[in-house]
Amino acid sequence: MSSKPTSASSSSPVLEVVGLRKSYRNPLTRKKLEALKGISFEIEPGTITGFLGANGAGKTTTIKCLLELAFADAGEVVYFGKKGLSNEAKAKIGFLPERPYFYDYLTGREFLKFYASISGRVARHELSSRITQLLERVGLSHAGDRPLRGYSKGMLQRIGIAQALIHRPEFIILDEPMTGLDPDGRHEVREIIREVANQGTAVFFSSHLLPDAETLCEHLVILKKGELIYHGRTDALMNQMASSWRVVHQARPGGVSEAQTVADIAEMQTCIDKIRASGGSIVEVSPQRVSLEEIFVKMAFDKKQSPEAQP
Amino acid sequence: MRSVLVIAGNTFREVIRDRILYGLIVFAIMLLFLSLALGQLSFDENIRLSANFGFTGIHIAVVVLAVFVGSTLVSKEIDKQTILTLLARPISRAQFILGKSLGLTAVLAVVATGLALILSAFLLFLGFKFTPHYLTAVFGVWLEAAVLLALALFFGSFARPMMTVVYTIAVFLLGHWVESLHFFIKKSESDFFKIGGTAITYLVPDLEAFNWRSAPVYAIDIPSGQIVAAVGASTGWVLILIALTVLIFRRRDFV
Repeated sequence: MSSKPTSASSSSPVLEVVGLRKSYRNPLTRKKLEALKGISFEIEPGTITGFLGANGAGKTTTIKCLLELAFADAGEVVYFGKKGLSNEAKAKIGFLPERPYFYDYLTGREFLKFYASISGRVARHELSSRITQLLERVGLSHAGDRPLRGYSKGMLQRIGIAQALIHRPEFIILDEPMTGLDPDGRHEVREIIREVANQGTAVFFSSHLLPDAETLCEHLVILKKGELIYHGRTDALMNQMASSWRVVHQARPGGVSEAQTVADIAEMQTCIDKIRASGGSIVEVSPQRVSLEEIFVKMAFDKKQSPEAQP
Repeated sequence: MRSVLVIAGNTFREVIRDRILYGLIVFAIMLLFLSLALGQLSFDENIRLSANFGFTGIHIAVVVLAVFVGSTLVSKEIDKQTILTLLARPISRAQFILGKSLGLTAVLAVVATGLALILSAFLLFLGFKFTPHYLTAVFGVWLEAAVLLALALFFGSFARPMMTVVYTIAVFLLGHWVESLHFFIKKSESDFFKIGGTAITYLVPDLEAFNWRSAPVYAIDIPSGQIVAAVGASTGWVLILIALTVLIFRRRDFV
């Protein structure tokens, strides 16, 4: 779709969030509501990070604080190794908000041209070809000259993704990008996310659709009532939360393989030790995976889950 | 500056493509036609009556556009959340406000000029003698509308659109009364009225300073110093109001 973005600091995280806090006051009762309780995480270049949490967990508030659409009470945000959200950093970021409403008096082409112009990162001579390319990529070539007011919800979501990508960002933030899309549309968005990540763009997206997050994300950031309850690799979480382990072994080399299921890591170690002590060999040890959805539900009822888990 | 112009261009396109604008233009053209008809009611003043009423029509149309479109210019972006994708781009909130106001100010200029051209065609038909102050009168309408737009933006930065319209119209009415207020302050014996009235004269723009609509009708000359002072006053009010709007808007959370 585009050439790999050149990052000045390709090894340092594209985003570091340290102790982010945000509270709101109820306008009537003046009661303070803590929306974010000091969350910290980071996003590495070229990775896909899922941002999960139940409704009201603070996902959209976090995203708004990251983009200074709402101002955090405390905490630090570092983009591309530099403190704060400068215009230089903004030029490298693409953003799709939740429930996007766009300028419906513009055609798809005009809309993308407007965002490309405002980002200042697309040269005038390549603007038209870039727009054509993106419209094609999001499956809207046929609708580029139609006003957005005639677009369906799914089409608006697609043009929204296109505007987030028009200036070849190094980091994109997508707030519920799959919402309102049919299965084909979701598949298409998943493919686009994979594609941009393969080109070196870091993707941070919030979603309620856990199967999508499970298949797509290498990393997860999970919030619960404004607190970070997990930050780390998806597979580490899946293994950590696996309900059991399967140990396949042979009593003697080349013999018949037998499988044994054990409840946890300690029991698995004991089992392996026993097999080895009796002269057997281990063929395979694998966690009996549960789905991210099951883990998410379990975590929703559990206390804090190793927030220090690192990728 | 480029970002301001891109936003101004988009705002211009937004208002130009809005059906409300065309409704307003049709209303203004109907007023201009009415000015022709009204002129026929008088035996010897028919041209002046038509010109007078025609200028009033342009004034009403441009003021209504500034107040009503200006009052929703920013709130619409917030309500529809289009502001989120915009402010996530490399532009500041000040640039956003400047771009929005510049875009609508340009529309006000285009509408005022367009309506003035239509009125001039009517007046030409009636045999009106044009003076350069025909343009000065239209320019005055635009200067006033620019101040009202800045007021609408300022009120819109903390009030809902309905209240923004109410506040702006209140200032519009007071603004056209400031000259009379000066007179009443001189005549009044109440200290309270003198202090309160004087405060209002400082807090409210004198909108009659931009009223040159009688000049082309009655062939009155306008001293150039008066025009320069009015341009200065309009620019000053616009800059102060935009600065206050930016100040309020700068730390606003979009939740």
